[in-house]
Amino acid sequence: MNVVELVEVTKVYELPRGSVKALDNVTASIEAGEFISVMGPSGSGKTTFLNIIGCLDTPTGGKVAIGGENINGLDDEALTKIRRDKIGFIFQQFNLIATLTALENIEYPMILKGVNEHEEKSKELVSSVGLEEALGENKPNELSGGEQQRVAIARALANDPDIILADEPTGNLDSKTSKDIMQLLKDTNERGKTIIIVTHDPQVASYTKRTFRLVDGRIDSDGVFL
Amino acid sequence: MIFFEFAKRNLARHKFRSVLAIIGIVIGVLAITALGILGNSVQLAVSEQLCMIGNELVVYPYGEEAISDDNFEKIEKVAEAIPVQSMGDKATLNGESTFVMVYGMRSEDIPKLLEKEAGQFLKHGSLNCMVGSRLADNYELRVGERAALQSQKPRIVGILAERGVGFDINPDNAIIVSDKMFDSMYNTTGYNSVIVKVEKIEDVEGAKEEIEARLNKKEEVVMVMELKMIVEGIKGLFNTISIFLLGIGAISLVVAGVSILNVMMMSTVERTKEIGVMRAIGTSKREILRMFLFESLILGAIGGVIGAILGFGTGFLVDVLILHEASYLFAPSSILYVFVGIAFGVGTSVLSGLYPAWRASNLKPIEALRYE
Ligand SMILES: Nc1ncnc2c1ncn2[C@@H]1O[C@H](COP(=O)(O)OP(=O)(O)O)[C@@H](O)[C@H]1O
Ligand SMILES: [Mg+2]
Repeated sequence: MNVVELVEVTKVYELPRGSVKALDNVTASIEAGEFISVMGPSGSGKTTFLNIIGCLDTPTGGKVAIGGENINGLDDEALTKIRRDKIGFIFQQFNLIATLTALENIEYPMILKGVNEHEEKSKELVSSVGLEEALGENKPNELSGGEQQRVAIARALANDPDIILADEPTGNLDSKTSKDIMQLLKDTNERGKTIIIVTHDPQVASYTKRTFRLVDGRIDSDGVFL
Repeated sequence: MIFFEFAKRNLARHKFRSVLAIIGIVIGVLAITALGILGNSVQLAVSEQLCMIGNELVVYPYGEEAISDDNFEKIEKVAEAIPVQSMGDKATLNGESTFVMVYGMRSEDIPKLLEKEAGQFLKHGSLNCMVGSRLADNYELRVGERAALQSQKPRIVGILAERGVGFDINPDNAIIVSDKMFDSMYNTTGYNSVIVKVEKIEDVEGAKEEIEARLNKKEEVVMVMELKMIVEGIKGLFNTISIFLLGIGAISLVVAGVSILNVMMMSTVERTKEIGVMRAIGTSKREILRMFLFESLILGAIGGVIGAILGFGTGFLVDVLILHEASYLFAPSSILYVFVGIAFGVGTSVLSGLYPAWRASNLKPIEALRYE
């Protein structure tokens, strides 16, 4: 089954100085368990592509199905629920909630969903992303960039989502840390998670099995790295 | 409650700003509570003293002439009437000379109007006297001692209970003698005032009209003062004062509300990115709204409770220092203001938080995420 199905998706942003076509007639399908990178120059529509799959943005035209469910026309509440239960987000700037400790950040999506035992589960997740459990008591600003991104990955995994979306996850990390994070994402994929990573870095893309290239909002090529 | 926890931590993150917002609410609630209690206490104090005499009328002569016996009889036909003679005079008490009011009343009328604290009331035609409580205190007068008035030395047989300021007579600083004694000391005729008592407060109006009809037929002979009217007037005045004071409190709350609105707006703008992240990972609009409303609720509740406590304290100080009576403070109508104050504080705060919270919850997730 295809976990992501885009059919002739177009996204136009209306701006005061005219409209911008961020995605132009994009058709793509992603199967469960795939490990995909999305590459392309700045402004080519990579983030928009990811946001539409992540139910953060809605297309101007075309059809989008996530986990077999057509999301066209769903209201904000329904889309929020899909994001909470089926999707895990990882950002370039880590974007942990500053007032919460690392462990609480991981617990948060589970609390939103009403998962029991979120405390134990968050501790398991902390060690599964390769962090000492004691680090979990720290606030995000007391952690290094690599540690924060590990916490963010644990948070993205909290509700056992169908898809992990990562927008330039190594963009703020040095190359050594980038490798560690990519290895962690690769391991996560090998345990069965579908992962889509936006990046400019060919080194990062080399970890993935398939690459989408975007140019001016169009999918240009769809290759496989082996 | 995770969103309550968020609210607490976000407020703690900006302690100085939160404290400022709370101070605004504290002042508003303090003003409302203290002023409300104060206005209420004054009103209670006044009506307590005035209600006893609400069913009285006082008839005064219109011109220089006193009220004649004839006219007194006419008044008596309308309702129970107490004739009062009065004269300002110099008396010697415990060796000190002082200016006092001397009232001459029929012995049987005295218990109807006044209460005694010690000793006895005057017997019919007595040549003794009673003294008011203030005089007794100031000159350390005791039952059995003598006062010196004119050429007489009446024995003090009774001391009156304190009565406060009245519209009929003011006995606290006075000497009360029998009508016979009064006539023997002063060469006057007629009465300086006649106090009319009706059974029910509703009868006051009718009695007043009837007395005027009977006595003022040809020319204005008497003036009828209706205490009920004065009482109502004074109560109305204090009502107005209370409302005015509450108004000041309300204005300070509005100012506090604006400052909360300001703080909350700042907070939503600063946290735009965080709101975007929270929305992205599955927080609903309603949950964002709740988080911000909790913040304003916490500010309002803390400010409200502190303000109400300080307001109650202020009310207590003023009651004790100015009204010399703390019991009004614990009257249900006073206690009510403590809750009114808290309710207004919380209400103002939540109301002011409503717009910022609504704005925050309606931010578009992608735009909030792009915000730097
Ligand atoms: N929320 C938005 N409002 C208006 N224009 C946008 C918005 N998001 C993206 N764009 C525009 O759409 C185009 C694609 O943007 P984006 O998807 O962020 O590209 P990329 O991630 O590849 O750099 C750009 O021209 C960008 O300016
Ligand atoms: Mg981008």
